[in-house]
Amino acid sequence: MRLKTSLLKDRTHRELVSCVGWTTADELYSCSEDHQILRWNLLNGETSVVVNMQDDIYPTDLHWFPKTSSGKKQALAEIFVLTSTDGKFHLVSKTGRIEKSVEAHRGAVLAGHWNYDGTALITAGEDGQIKIWSKSGMLRSTLAQQGSPVYSVAWAPDSDRVLYTSGKQLIIKPLQPSSKVLQWKAHDGVILKVDWNSVNDLILSGAEDCRFKVWDSYGRLLYVSSSHDYPITSVSWAPDGEVFAVGSFNTLRLCDKTGWSYALEKPNTGSVFAVAWSADGTQLAGACGNGHVIFAHLVEQRWEWKNFQITLIKKRTMQVRNVLNDAVDVLEFRDRVIKASFAHSHLVVTTSLQCYIYSVKNWNTPLIFDLKEGTVSLILQADRHFLLVDGGGVYVFSYEGRLVSSPKFPGMRADILNAQSVSLSNDTLALRDKTDEKVIFLFDVQTGKALGDGKPLTHKLEVVEIALDQSGPASDRKIALVDKNRDLYLTSVRRLGREHSIIKIGTMVQTMAWNDAANLLSGVQDGQFTVWCYPSAVFVDKDLLPKTLTTKDGSEFSSTPHILSYVGTQVTVRRADGSLMHSCVSPYPAILHEYASTARWEDALRLCRFAKDQTLWACLAGMAMGSRELAMAEVAYAAIGEVDKVQYINSIKELPSKESSLAHMLLFSGHVQEAEATLLQAGLVYQAIQVHINLYNWDRALELAVKHKTHVDTVLAYRQKFLQDFGKKESNKRFLQYSEGVEVDWEKIQAKIEMELGKEREICPSKIKILQTKKKHQSNSLLN
Amino acid sequence: MAKDPLAEAGLHFDELNKLRVLEPEVGQKTAELKDECKEFVDKIGQFQKIVGGLIELVDELAKEAETEKMMAIGARNLLKSVAKQREAQQQQLQALIVEKKMQLERYRIEYEALSKVEAEQNEFIDQFILQK
Repeated sequence: MRLKTSLLKDRTHRELVSCVGWTTADELYSCSEDHQILRWNLLNGETSVVVNMQDDIYPTDLHWFPKTSSGKKQALAEIFVLTSTDGKFHLVSKTGRIEKSVEAHRGAVLAGHWNYDGTALITAGEDGQIKIWSKSGMLRSTLAQQGSPVYSVAWAPDSDRVLYTSGKQLIIKPLQPSSKVLQWKAHDGVILKVDWNSVNDLILSGAEDCRFKVWDSYGRLLYVSSSHDYPITSVSWAPDGEVFAVGSFNTLRLCDKTGWSYALEKPNTGSVFAVAWSADGTQLAGACGNGHVIFAHLVEQRWEWKNFQITLIKKRTMQVRNVLNDAVDVLEFRDRVIKASFAHSHLVVTTSLQCYIYSVKNWNTPLIFDLKEGTVSLILQADRHFLLVDGGGVYVFSYEGRLVSSPKFPGMRADILNAQSVSLSNDTLALRDKTDEKVIFLFDVQTGKALGDGKPLTHKLEVVEIALDQSGPASDRKIALVDKNRDLYLTSVRRLGREHSIIKIGTMVQTMAWNDAANLLSGVQDGQFTVWCYPSAVFVDKDLLPKTLTTKDGSEFSSTPHILSYVGTQVTVRRADGSLMHSCVSPYPAILHEYASTARWEDALRLCRFAKDQTLWACLAGMAMGSRELAMAEVAYAAIGEVDKVQYINSIKELPSKESSLAHMLLFSGHVQEAEATLLQAGLVYQAIQVHINLYNWDRALELAVKHKTHVDTVLAYRQKFLQDFGKKESNKRFLQYSEGVEVDWEKIQAKIEMELGKEREICPSKIKILQTKKKHQSNSLLN
Repeated sequence: MAKDPLAEAGLHFDELNKLRVLEPEVGQKTAELKDECKEFVDKIGQFQKIVGGLIELVDELAKEAETEKMMAIGARNLLKSVAKQREAQQQQLQALIVEKKMQLERYRIEYEALSKVEAEQNEFIDQFILQK
């Protein structure tokens, strides 16, 4: 990615330009110390004077009233706040008329900023005060007071906190008076500019120590730049939070959100005092010390998928290169390209008015449809549909350009969704809520309605990243989530009446991504590059999970890597310094997944035998057990040396009825309650009791026995035996109570058990026959 | 010689027998003086003109010298600032070079990673062929 800068030569300010602000994607207002407000039209390259202000107004900062999506505030959307050195701020209309001037501070007002919904204005002055004003310019409160000037302020994403500078320190102060203030020393020089992005919740600061830094909202340092030659005079986030711009003397820099620099420009501008991004995030303007206004737009963004590489070579032109045969296609668009996404053999491009869908098979005839609202902030793709996010909401479209659904939940703020908080698969859409970050909303893509009973998935901690797996049937859809402690959890999306069981499958996970075609999960876990070859193993056999992992040394990925994509066998990782790393994963697990999903167990077995890989065997064991293929599971478990499991599977095979074998399979996966329920439903009370006895779950066993009025003596007998074996005395009150009236007679109990088993065999005679024949075989083979 | 009564009365006759009040000699001298004076005035005038021209010329020269001097000073200053400008330009180029170097380093890392992937793939293919 690169910045293409341009200076309109014909007309400039006579003095330094102090502030700039965009109205639309093609119109900019700039204010200068020559008391003029200029309007720059980029479509026809014209510059016109909006107004000549009084001679005593030296502007310091301007900010347009935010455009809100609800239509009723449109009348106010045409004004901006202009702060000046005479201690006033002015509300100025689009035509340049000063609607209102308010005496705000002693000394100059240095910064003025509307909050995100436009209900409040904050100003900061040389007198060290920070004041909050109503929309119409009435003083609401003085938020803070300090001894040194406040150079810059920024609102938090939810507009309930304010970030401001205090010399070398940064302070985050909540509007609620009693809440805790966060304050830290951020730089070695006076901090000149701060910015706080609403989408990624990160803070930027630039200071006189010639460095800029990136912080998270808890004040943890994420990135510090090398020292520049001159103080950093301006910093500004792009609206989508993916990149930011930094201005200094004769310097304009474009950086990734992780801090590394995409491009550096050295235009002849003097100091860049302010940088403003247009709302679509494709252009920026800088207020220059020599009276110029510098414009720049982003070009040369790259998208790659399999053998195709796409570059945005001009504002409206993309170049597609097929690496295999070096064929080049050029895609032309009517308007400026705003966002694009390339995955699942489709390229989706949005311009200010339209959406273009290309298939990799045909670059000539795209499918085009009009967009309701211009600025798409996020595109996500799944195999069958894609998702567009704009300020108004989220929309799922099919690749034929048909609107499939537009899921909503109360209080949804679509404008601050990012790729970490949304995930799309063929049938499910997951959204993490912003107001409560523990909550994940799940939607059916086809209907746009909430899944199941409509209750969202709630985790016990704040969730920072979510991802849905991409293949397999909808009923098996799983969601992986990383929480604030960087623990990785897996849970199934459709819970079938049960509570979500959110199972931890990894710790210290910095980044993760699902494979695009098979349900493999890749991630960087505690410095190790890890692939969870069969993450669903946790639902079948928890002990199996560690065996299904393949790990590789991840030290080459350095400190904070980010997995960009996991396509086929290739994982692409972006390192903290911005370099791309590619890593190859064995193709076998994906093939095994395919065999398992199509129930080709013989092929799967052959593959495992061919590859001779313990991980693969473990995966097969999990898959076979998951689809109740006991014979296959037995082979696989034997191959990884889990003798106890093989034996248990064998014992399950010999169970007389379908219900009890099902129950034991559930037990195998550790679902005791479900197993019990299955047995009780089938009327196999004794078996249910026996399950609990075997698990030393005495209380429940006795409870069941008492409830169903059978086998109380059995439970007591086993309990007694257990106590004898361990040389203990009965201390459980309930057992003491029941043992009084009951006499333990082992022979009677054995007879009773035999009777129960006999009863079960009668229910299911066909299976018995098979079993008996099998037993005969076994005895025959033993005899032979 | 007897005195001319006319001369006593202050009247004289000249050669052309015209009546004169002044003595012819005096008259002649006066005329001569007048002529000489005129000549003198003319000469002075001429001299003034020449001197005026000279002054103008010198003034012009002075002006030219002045501008040349200013230009020289300007050039000297420019020379000094060029050095500084070069320094600034150098600094800018240096910054751009550093940027490019970083980009190069990124590409190098990516290339290395891709080479590794290629090696792994080749190894895998070899293994696959051998096992078959």
